[in-house]
Amino acid sequence: MTAPLALVLDPFTPFAVPFLLRPLLLLLALAVAAGTVGMLVHLRRLEFSADGLTHAVFPGLAIGAALGGAAGLLPGALGAALVAAVVLALLSRRGQPRDTAVAIVLTTFFSVGIVLVSLSEGAGSVSDFFFGRLLTITWADLWVGVALVAVGVGLVVATARPQLFAAFDPAGARRAGLPVLGLETLGTVAVALVVVAASASVGTLLALAVVIVPAAAARALTRSLRAAAVVAVAFGAVTGWLGLWAVVQLAEAGVDAAPGATVALAMIAGYLVALAAGALRGRVRGRAAVAA
Amino acid sequence: MSTAPEAVVEIADAAFGYGGAPVLTGVGFTVLPGEAVALIGPNGAGKSTLLAGILGLAEHDARTFRVPEGRGEIGVLPQSSEIDPAFPVTLEQVVAMGRTPRLGLRWPGRSDRRIVADAIEAVGLTPQRRTRFGDLSGGQRQRGLLARALASEPRLLLLDEPFNGLDQGSRDALLETIRTLKSRGVALLITTHDLDLARAVCDRTLLVNQQQIAFDDTDCVLTLERVEAAFASHVIEIDGHTLTTTAHHESEHSAHHRLLQDDDAERDRAQHR
Repeated sequence: MTAPLALVLDPFTPFAVPFLLRPLLLLLALAVAAGTVGMLVHLRRLEFSADGLTHAVFPGLAIGAALGGAAGLLPGALGAALVAAVVLALLSRRGQPRDTAVAIVLTTFFSVGIVLVSLSEGAGSVSDFFFGRLLTITWADLWVGVALVAVGVGLVVATARPQLFAAFDPAGARRAGLPVLGLETLGTVAVALVVVAASASVGTLLALAVVIVPAAAARALTRSLRAAAVVAVAFGAVTGWLGLWAVVQLAEAGVDAAPGATVALAMIAGYLVALAAGALRGRVRGRAAVAA
Repeated sequence: MSTAPEAVVEIADAAFGYGGAPVLTGVGFTVLPGEAVALIGPNGAGKSTLLAGILGLAEHDARTFRVPEGRGEIGVLPQSSEIDPAFPVTLEQVVAMGRTPRLGLRWPGRSDRRIVADAIEAVGLTPQRRTRFGDLSGGQRQRGLLARALASEPRLLLLDEPFNGLDQGSRDALLETIRTLKSRGVALLITTHDLDLARAVCDRTLLVNQQQIAFDDTDCVLTLERVEAAFASHVIEIDGHTLTTTAHHESEHSAHHRLLQDDDAERDRAQHR
């Protein structure tokens, strides 16, 4: 562990206060999404699409905030995610390579978002939308977020087996008569729901981190799918908690660190540790194989 | 045909294509339960289009067109699959994927697990069932994908160049599996360039080159004249005794993968139009 002594001394009490408990609960819910929806993104190599979707949500947040303040964030994000998903689907249908389509959507929506934020005074700053308002979410925000995550996770878990087939071998799944396009659309909807739930409260950057980082870290550490899913949930939960805990410690030391960014950094740090551990294990296994 | 068992595949006066000019015309054949039919023709003859047509992935225009239509009733072994070797699934999990067309969203039960185990047993890979799929050899992967096709308990099995790139052991194992499947009443349609293998396991042969050239008992179809007619442009290369030549054979093998992909690309374009 990175900060052993203080952690051992006082890992839980900070979260007894509601303004820390709420973000922790949301991060735990997002950890479950990381092990399921995030795993699907990883297996289908949709990281770039998820990135596009996340950035597309950004102007939605800005519009929502301009129209309805904090209460407008979620509807704004949801609307933008819907528009982005349709635009993405149309662009790739028209024969644009997927990466091109995503890049176009990403740039367009992102620019629109920045322009909107700079035009509307007082509705919120760019960094608010990037890094969210982790410590100021209300119980209502939390429950809506958890509900969106639950629907997204439910969609992926219910279709897990055909999703796995379609991710592993799309052409084979189509030949076997599975509705591959429908499965892909359903997966994208699930990703959008989680991204919306995350970005309205923890910001677009952390939303992206939650969807991508734990699954990637888990893949570096594990070889089986089941283990990877479990490790991704645990990774999301532990790094989320560590990040929040770091925010509290920094605040006590008089440093006002942006909570969303701190949690994202905790995830990245955890990912680097996982990569190193995975590489080390691979080397040990390689040596064992040579020895045998 | 009145005394024979009901055919699994019954096609008459059919043309296959992807929306434009038909790729293959004048097709009429049947496949009976427990029968293996060889599908032979040069590169670009329309073999893959015919297989895609049976799967409903290419268009057809036919007087009679009867193929199994229930979910999982047709199993497919493609010649090659673009599979990421790092994908974290075991052989057992890959074979279990073959159950999904039958299961829909239901969770697999004990009988499903037994069917998966049987399918792995049938291709002789039981000791490797917990091996990561990407760690298997090429021949073992091919057999694993065959087991995946078997796991859906197909009435009809389409095998596309199943013997390509297989070592002798895997070839023998595959021949044995094909014989077992026939004895269980599965109908098979097998594309191959290996006429000896066609003779070894296929009761009847369908010879095509953009149109149907012959369909009859394998020994009647695989005569010099007919194979000459099918492989018209390569007639000089054909050795009077074996009816295949190495030079032609090589180019067929390397080009075939592209043919299947071309079919995929062609279909995608057709769908987007």
